[in-house]
Amino acid sequence: MKRRHFLTFIAPSMISLVTFTIVPLVVAAWLSFQSFGYWTMDARVFVGLRNYAEIMADPSFWQAVGWTLLIMAIVTPTEMFLGFVIALLLDQVSKRHRGIFLALALTTYVSVPVVASYMFKGMFFPGGLGSWLIQLVTGKRLIIDKFTIKSLIILYQIWRDTPFPTLVFFAGLQSLPEELLDAAAIDGAGRLKQLRYITLPHLAPLLMLVAMIVLGALFGMFDPIFVITGMNPVYHADTIMAYNWRTATQFDQLGKANAMALLSVMGSMVLLFPFLHRTWVSQTEER
Amino acid sequence: MLPIRNRVARFFIYLALSMYTVTMSFPLLWAVLQSLKNVRQANSLIPVFIFKPTLESYAKLWFREVPENLPVLLLGAGAASLALILLAVLLNRRGVSKLAVIGLVVVGFSVILWAIPRYANTADWYDFFVNTLIVTVCSVTISVCFSAAAGYAIARYQRIGGAVILIVALALGSLPAMAFAMPYYQLSSMLGLQDSYILLIAVMVGLHQPFSIWMLRGFFLEIPRDIDESAMIDGASPFRVFWSVVAPIAWSGIITSALLNALGVYHSFLIVRVLTRNKWTLAVAMSKYVSTLYAAEDTVPFAAAVSASIPLLILVFFCQEQLIKGLGAGAVKG
Repeated sequence: MKRRHFLTFIAPSMISLVTFTIVPLVVAAWLSFQSFGYWTMDARVFVGLRNYAEIMADPSFWQAVGWTLLIMAIVTPTEMFLGFVIALLLDQVSKRHRGIFLALALTTYVSVPVVASYMFKGMFFPGGLGSWLIQLVTGKRLIIDKFTIKSLIILYQIWRDTPFPTLVFFAGLQSLPEELLDAAAIDGAGRLKQLRYITLPHLAPLLMLVAMIVLGALFGMFDPIFVITGMNPVYHADTIMAYNWRTATQFDQLGKANAMALLSVMGSMVLLFPFLHRTWVSQTEER
Repeated sequence: MLPIRNRVARFFIYLALSMYTVTMSFPLLWAVLQSLKNVRQANSLIPVFIFKPTLESYAKLWFREVPENLPVLLLGAGAASLALILLAVLLNRRGVSKLAVIGLVVVGFSVILWAIPRYANTADWYDFFVNTLIVTVCSVTISVCFSAAAGYAIARYQRIGGAVILIVALALGSLPAMAFAMPYYQLSSMLGLQDSYILLIAVMVGLHQPFSIWMLRGFFLEIPRDIDESAMIDGASPFRVFWSVVAPIAWSGIITSALLNALGVYHSFLIVRVLTRNKWTLAVAMSKYVSTLYAAEDTVPFAAAVSASIPLLILVFFCQEQLIKGLGAGAVKG
C-alpha cells in the first residue's frame, strides 16, 4: 500500500481519535497545574506542581491506590481461572445445548454495569434475597460495614466480568485443531497432559490479552463503587477513580482531580507496557 | 479437549454448568420476578415465589398514562417489527446486498419507534430508550466504518508509521474514562453542546476507535495479501479493493467488532453523565430509577433494570455464534 493511500485510509479515524482523546488529555494536563472549583471555573489560579505534591502527600489517595491494587490482585487470577474452567466445560457441551448455556453465562457481561451493580446490591442489602439466605443459614443478619462492602465489591466484579475471559477462551478453544489432540491421545497422552502441552500453549497468546483487558478495566473501575457504596465515605472503599470523582464533585477541587486523572493515565501506561510491547513486535516484524 | 464420553462425567459437567449459569443470571432472574410482583409481595421480608404476575410496573415505567388500546398498540408494533424482520430475511436470501438490508431494517424500526408516541402517552423512559438507540446505532456505524478503514491500512502498511499509530491508539484507548471526563465537561459547556446527540456520538466514536482498529487489524492480517494484489492488478483502486473485495471477506470480524462497540456505548455511564443534562441514555437514567432499589419501595426499578438489559440480551443471543466465530478467527491474536 502506498503512503498516500495509507494516509487517506487512516485520516477519519485519526482525526476523531486526536480530537476526542489527545486534545482532552492536553487540556487536562493544562488544567492540572491550576487551582479551581466548579463555581470558580473562570477564576483559575496557576499553582504549578502543587496539585501533584498534595496528591502525593494525601493518605486517602494512597489508600485508594492500595485498594485498587488489592482488587486487581484478587479478581484477575480468579476471573481468569474460572473463565478457563467454564470455557473447558462449555466446550464439552453438545452444540445443540451450548447456545442457551452460553447466553445465560454471558448475562452479566451483557447487562449494563450500573444496572448489574444495582441488581447485585439489591440482593445483599436488607430485604434482598441474598441477605435473607445468609440470615437463614447463619442465623445472623448481614451487617453492611467496611469489610462486607469490600467483599461485595470484589464478588460483584468476579460475578460480572468472568464471562469475558470465558468468551475469549471458549472462542480460542474452537480454533484448536482436534487432530492434534487425537494424535496426542493415540500417543498415550492423558487428558491432563493434553491440557498441559496442547490446550494451554494454544491459548497462551490469549492469556496475556485477557489479563491486560481485565487489569485495565479494574484499574478504571468506577460504576460499581458509585452504586454499591453510594459514595458513602464511611466505607473507605474508594478506588482511584472513585476518589478522583470525590475530589472533583465533593471536595470541589477540579485542578487536583485533573492531576489525579493524569497520574492514573501514567499508571495505566506502566500496566499496559507488556501488551504494547508485544503489539509493537507483531506489527513491525516482517510478514 | 476431546469430548468426554463417560455418561456420569457428562452429567456432572451439565450439572456444574447449570449451577454456574443460574448463579450468573440469578440477580437478573430475581429482578424479573420482582418486576412481576405487586408492591406488597415485592417488599415482603420473606421472599415470595408463588404469586399472580402483574405487568403494572412495566406499564408505569413506559407510559405516563396507560392507553386504553394498549393490546392493539403492542400487537400493531409487534406485527410491524415481525413483518420487517421477515422482509429482511427474505431479501437477504434473495441476495440483496447486506448493507441495503441493514439500512432498510434501521429505517423501518425508526419509523415504528417514531410512530408509537403518536398513539400513546409514553413516559420519559421511552425517550431515554430512543436516545440510547440513536446514540448506539449512529456511533457504532460511524466508528466501525472509520476503524475498518484504519485497521485495513495498518494491516497492509507494515512500516514504522503504522506501528506507531497502532501503539499510540492502543495506549490512548486503555485509559480510564475519568481522564477524559473533566475536559469533556468543559468542552461541552464551552461549545454549548450539552445534551446534543452530535457531541455524544462524536465522543463515542473517538473513544471506541482504538480497540476496534486493533481488532479489525487482526482480522485483515488474516486475509492473504495476494487477494488484494490480484484485484489491484485487475485495475481496481485501493478503495475499491477495500470496499468490494476485502471488507466482504472480513464481514464476520466487522460484525464482531460492531457488537463489542455497541456493548461499550450502551454501557458507558460516566462519559454520558458528564455530557448530558436531560437527554440521558438508559445507563444514566437507571441511576435515577434505581436509586431506591435497595429500599425496594417500588417495583418500577426492577422493571427498568429488566427493560434496559433485554435489548442487549436479545442481540447477543442471536449473534453469539457470530461472536465466537469472530473472536476465534484471529481478531484477538494480538
